[in-house]
Amino acid sequence: MTGALARIVAIAFMAGASLFLLAPLLVIAAASFSPTPVFDLPIGGASLRWYGAVGSLDGFWPALTLSLEIALVSTAISLALGTLTGIAIVRGLIPGASILAAALASPLMMPGLVLGIALLQFFRGFGLTQVFPALLMAHVVVTLPYVARTMIAGLSRFDFTLIDAARTLGCSFPASIFRVMAPALAPAYLTSGLFAFLASMDNYPVSIFLTDARMKTLPIKMLQYIEESPDPSIAALSTLILLATLALLFAADRVVGLHRLAGLSE
Amino acid sequence: MTLLGPSGCGKTTLLRLIAGLATPDEGHVSIAGVDVTRTPPHKRNVGVVFQNYALFPHLNVGGNVGFGLSGKGLAKATIAAKVGRALELVQMGKFRDRPVTALSGGQQQRVALARALAVEPSVLLFDEALSALDRNLRETMQVELRRLLKDIGATAIFVTHDQDEALTMSDKIAVMNAGQIEQFADPLSVYAQPKTLFTMRFVGLSSEMRGTVVARGLGQVRVETPVGAVMAQGDQPVGCSVVVATRPEHVRIGGVEAIEDNCAEGQIRQITFHGSRTRLSVDVVGAEFVVEMGGVNALPSAGQAVVLRWPAACSFAYADSSVAA
Amino acid sequence: MSAVVSDRYGLLARVRCHDLLARVRSRRVGLTLAAPALFVLIFLYAAPLAHLLAGSFRGPAGFTLDAYGRVLADAYGRSLVWNSLRLGLITTGLTLVVGYPAAFGLAMSRGVLRSLFLASLFLPLAASVIAKAFAWTILLRSHGVVNDTLIFLHLTDKPIRMIFTQTSLIVGAANIFLPFMILPIYAVVAQIDPRLTEAAATLGSSPARAFLRVVLPLSTPGVIAGVALVFSLSVSAYVVPNLLMGENYPTLATTIAKAFLLIRDPALGAAAGAILMAIGLAVVVVSNRLSEQGGSTK
Repeated sequence: MTGALARIVAIAFMAGASLFLLAPLLVIAAASFSPTPVFDLPIGGASLRWYGAVGSLDGFWPALTLSLEIALVSTAISLALGTLTGIAIVRGLIPGASILAAALASPLMMPGLVLGIALLQFFRGFGLTQVFPALLMAHVVVTLPYVARTMIAGLSRFDFTLIDAARTLGCSFPASIFRVMAPALAPAYLTSGLFAFLASMDNYPVSIFLTDARMKTLPIKMLQYIEESPDPSIAALSTLILLATLALLFAADRVVGLHRLAGLSE
Repeated sequence: MTLLGPSGCGKTTLLRLIAGLATPDEGHVSIAGVDVTRTPPHKRNVGVVFQNYALFPHLNVGGNVGFGLSGKGLAKATIAAKVGRALELVQMGKFRDRPVTALSGGQQQRVALARALAVEPSVLLFDEALSALDRNLRETMQVELRRLLKDIGATAIFVTHDQDEALTMSDKIAVMNAGQIEQFADPLSVYAQPKTLFTMRFVGLSSEMRGTVVARGLGQVRVETPVGAVMAQGDQPVGCSVVVATRPEHVRIGGVEAIEDNCAEGQIRQITFHGSRTRLSVDVVGAEFVVEMGGVNALPSAGQAVVLRWPAACSFAYADSSVAA
Repeated sequence: MSAVVSDRYGLLARVRCHDLLARVRSRRVGLTLAAPALFVLIFLYAAPLAHLLAGSFRGPAGFTLDAYGRVLADAYGRSLVWNSLRLGLITTGLTLVVGYPAAFGLAMSRGVLRSLFLASLFLPLAASVIAKAFAWTILLRSHGVVNDTLIFLHLTDKPIRMIFTQTSLIVGAANIFLPFMILPIYAVVAQIDPRLTEAAATLGSSPARAFLRVVLPLSTPGVIAGVALVFSLSVSAYVVPNLLMGENYPTLATTIAKAFLLIRDPALGAAAGAILMAIGLAVVVVSNRLSEQGGSTK
């Protein structure tokens, strides 16, 4: 098989994979315009009524708010923790740095369901029954691996003599971190922040155990909608989320470049 | 043989064409009389030592060196023997089982060389292979490589932008500029008898004066320059605008006047010390002269007015392409 | 003379002391920096999991393997384990077969095409798995898009029943987890130095052999990462089997969710959870061991 043929075959595989991956998204988007209250294809005409109906879904706004709050705060905490630990690991300041790095990445491979019940029982054992703090701590565990992995990769590429240069030019150590390192690591922050945020917003297995009847996150609510009364408002909601993500990806491509997003994430 | 030229002159492209890593739009490539233009690189038996060495990170030193030998149906013992021999040639025999990522730059370069040698190629290509080494190591490797290649009798083509390296290592140099070969000759000829102004400038220092040819004959031209009439080697027609260039070691300060010498008056602007030689910048009318003197005795001082003399046989006239005809 | 000597020793002693202090100080700095994350790892991750594991051994009379027995002893329990493993293995195999060449295609593409490919990988990550799984039920219905297309292309006469079959489960799972196979492999493949294949060519390797002997081994870390990720995600998938197969494909994950949320049988849930955790740990350990063996990189 010559090089050119192999190249065509490989790109064909990726093209096929792309279509395969986009198929359900197209279905969701198409179904969201249905004029009838049935979440199905084909649709008879086109209507935007379900986009309007999203806001009046039962319990929608509290769920969205909760999900956003948890996602933003846990991502922020993970970014901070990930940076600090990343510095310690990359500079070799602690013994067993590579073991720590592997341990930080391992929650990704632990079934979320298992983590969910483990945390549920653990928190209950301590008497912690409030949803928000429990959910927040759980989501830090969920998001930390994404951040740690990306930050370690980004930090290992960072030239630390830049910090020395800043300090000889009059910056204190913390100031030089802010003024020199943070801007250089902006792509890594963007990437890991994006992945962490999405992972938290879409998380079901961990959240299901830590929420209760009153406080639910968005994915849990969505499953409830689907099981109880699947109408196209769910499709509309998903399409809105997709559009928001599309805008985010576009912005990320401008700032960092999508291929670096993919390369930095590992 | 060395391909010498500045960045972007096409020397690396030429090397890749020889190796088969690039295919020409026109023309053909022959090795030992065989047309290989259509032959893919893995069938050409051309060895390449890359600038960044391109060692396989997932194999150790022995694995790298033996890479080209496996898959040819040779017995394991034969391969092992050839690997051992190649490593001995580059004095890396003890490193056989080391991972390549643990080696220094110089060591990696030797492994890359051993790897290319192990398959006994008909031609060895070096793509700026010494540029990543520090100066001392580079000079040592230059001498060693030349001796090694002479010992095994291989044809080698070096690509470099460093003229000192080219002069040291080559039997022949091809000076390249913007895709053209300006001169192809032994190092002495390239240095002492440069055919084009580019070669004169690129391989060593020169002092230049602009002028017009007023007479010509016997392989020499008389050129009218701002410092007066100057004789130089050349055959440009009368009226042609030329640049007259001279190597600094031929220019004397003061000294005995001889009929066949050119002379110019000037003032010393700057003196720089280079160990065994001293270099002087002398301002003459309409030009700047570079003069090299050996030794540290009787050095003139800056600002001094001097008379420069040099033999006409050491000046070369080149048509000045920057002046509209 | 002696003053000079003692002064020199004093200087050496001071330098050595300072060196020692520097090392101790840097270690302390390192631990301070890593402490918060270590806290999270130990108290919010390792400890709860260990607690869960311990709980699975706990019975009314102390240490017991009773809960494990309930899951593994009878055929139903074993079918749970087998279903989970099967889902994991088939999904991983499928995504690997498709994803490996696709990752190369992604690495070879440039410009707009590459951005489109990357968008098609990232965008599904933002869509809720719930919405996607439901979308597949729509696609695979008897009068859904796929069946209609197959009939249109005359590949079949009447609609094939795809919904609520294991085929739909596999297709849905592969669809949802494919990006997690392609992205890690791509991240590794994109960094392979193209001059390595050139070097292999100059050493006599045909393009096919150069691929097998240079590119394939170097792509292994990405493959290990992708396989580990997809396997652990699909083995423990809850939403996908639930929506696409309902009660017809009980796995460890669906059992855990049911045990805790519906029927309130925590011991069963904990035992199933411990087995799932053991699988997860095995994946982590094995993938770490394999990627360390793979050789020195970076």
